[in-house]
Amino acid sequence: MTLNGDLAALQKVVAAGLAALEASRRRIDDLNVYPVPDGDTGTNLTMTVRALAEAVEETSAASRRSLARDVARGALMGARGNSGVILSQIVRGAADVLGEATAPAIEAAETARALRGAADAAYRAVRRPVEGTMLSVIRELAEEAEARAASRPPLGELLVELVRRGEAAVARTPEQLQVLRDAGVVDAGGAGLLELVRGVAAGVTGEPLPEAPPADEHLAVDAIHQELSRYRYCTVFVIEGEGLDGDALEAKLDGLGDSLLVVGDDRALKVHVHTDDPGAALSLGTLAGTIDRIEIANMHEQTHRREERLLAAVPDTAAARAATGVVAVVAGDGNRSLFERLAANIGPVRVVEGGQTMNPSTADLLAAVQALDAEEAVILPNNSNVLLAAEHAAANADRPVEVVAADSIPGGLAAMVAFDGARSAAENAAEMREAMRGVVTGEVTTASRDVQLNGLAIRAGEWLGLAEGQPVAGGGSFDEVATAVIERLLAEPRELLTLLVGDDPPPLDALLERVAAAHPEIDVDVQHGGQPHYQLLLSAE
Amino acid sequence: MLSSPLGRITISSDAIAHIVGETARECYGIVGMAARGPVGKLLAKRERLTQGIEITRDDGDGVTIDLHVVVEYGLNLAEVASTVRNRVSYEVGRLTGLPVRAVEVHIDDVRRTG
Repeated sequence: MTLNGDLAALQKVVAAGLAALEASRRRIDDLNVYPVPDGDTGTNLTMTVRALAEAVEETSAASRRSLARDVARGALMGARGNSGVILSQIVRGAADVLGEATAPAIEAAETARALRGAADAAYRAVRRPVEGTMLSVIRELAEEAEARAASRPPLGELLVELVRRGEAAVARTPEQLQVLRDAGVVDAGGAGLLELVRGVAAGVTGEPLPEAPPADEHLAVDAIHQELSRYRYCTVFVIEGEGLDGDALEAKLDGLGDSLLVVGDDRALKVHVHTDDPGAALSLGTLAGTIDRIEIANMHEQTHRREERLLAAVPDTAAARAATGVVAVVAGDGNRSLFERLAANIGPVRVVEGGQTMNPSTADLLAAVQALDAEEAVILPNNSNVLLAAEHAAANADRPVEVVAADSIPGGLAAMVAFDGARSAAENAAEMREAMRGVVTGEVTTASRDVQLNGLAIRAGEWLGLAEGQPVAGGGSFDEVATAVIERLLAEPRELLTLLVGDDPPPLDALLERVAAAHPEIDVDVQHGGQPHYQLLLSAE
Repeated sequence: MLSSPLGRITISSDAIAHIVGETARECYGIVGMAARGPVGKLLAKRERLTQGIEITRDDGDGVTIDLHVVVEYGLNLAEVASTVRNRVSYEVGRLTGLPVRAVEVHIDDVRRTG
């Protein structure tokens, strides 16, 4: 497939689109209140399309497919700002479709497919698409084109209809997005996309570029209230008098807040300031002259609903009593805080201090279960020596209790990943056991007495390494023993190695270097566990 | 901690992390947050909303935010990162009133979705 007239046609429509966007750049900048009210959407879109125009001027593509690739690349490299990035993705989605088109010329059917590709690509790149933005506008354009393509209208006719639909879609953005409604504006990115389509339509039909909406179109005064401000009240008033000194007034007002604007002449000044003390601003005004047309707006109120929505995501610490809580037996301050920090996120958790040498009693565990603010409980003994006491506590508790037989702290942490306070104890236990199956654990400690290990004599005080509860190495070198344990844990393909470092840790640098060299594909996460006796607790998943 | 005539207001790092998570999910180009080891996964349990987000505070209450994100393949990474930085800094500053010292955006991975 050769280029035929594609390149010349493309250069023409991109130039027309750019011209239309340039004409509306300032107006679009002024519309910009979302996602951040920094007033640069029109400029960003224009810069992005300029880069695109340069790419289609400079391309040496010899086929439709390589032209499409150059276009997508030009948009990618030239993308500026959030709106520019979205536009680059729209361009890429369309270029991917058009690059594969086999029709001799691009007509309505190809345009509809390209817009669908553009909309799909645009939506693909965001986790939570926001309606009332460029995204909903490109989607509506695709829908309109698809609905009309079947009757095979001439391309110019289709584009005129697309401009009409785009205008309707942009006009509807304030209904879809609260922050636009509050500010009394349409979406800037959507408006920019519409101007681009308007320009392209003019380029195709050969019509002169239609008049862009006037740049000084009245913006609701609320639009300024979206400016970044820490202050509560947007305060606007006019001072009338004789020989007014704007600069002197500005200097006096300067300490009161931000977004300060004093404009006018020696007979009338208009003051705009964001402040927490509008009274002080008005007092300064009355000292200079007669004040009039006072407007004080509570900006916090205007953004209140959006803030509520964002803050709703913050966990409610006073949430209703959970279905299930966890009692975990843990040794070491670091490990303890790992379990406890979970409490705020996923459900009630109580930590009972204990482990290898200090086993909590059945009564300790029972008391912890009954102190949980939850209907049911799961006990994580995290040590085989604690398992029996945990089972006794479960049998004697005043509520349903499941024991998930984790025999190590890393095993218990792996189980915690699957815990959800909103589910029953039985459901949790099943999920948590499943989660533990994906993890292998190990330990490095010192032998408390002389032992025989696979024909190897280990003296009291020497290093002893265990994997999945079984001794695998011993000797005088910490690095050798720990490496042997790690090799055993990584015998099957794993992604992640976690080290919980004990309260009396040996230097780890040499060991970590060794692991990085032998297993470059493994991520290593080192955490302070603080447990006694075990210089290292390990897990691999 | 913010002080007001009626008493002190404290805003937890967890609350900030949730605001960051909620904001990041709306940012164009972000298709996921990167897990930071099993402990990161643990602490990000609740809808994984705070996954890949680390909040550090200094003595003057300044907030430093580290975000580990996964970006859609084929987007301009520098621009996506800069948008996330602006947006997160803006929302956290606006909603908490705390000074945002830095927003460090780490692009941990690039993914081709769909």
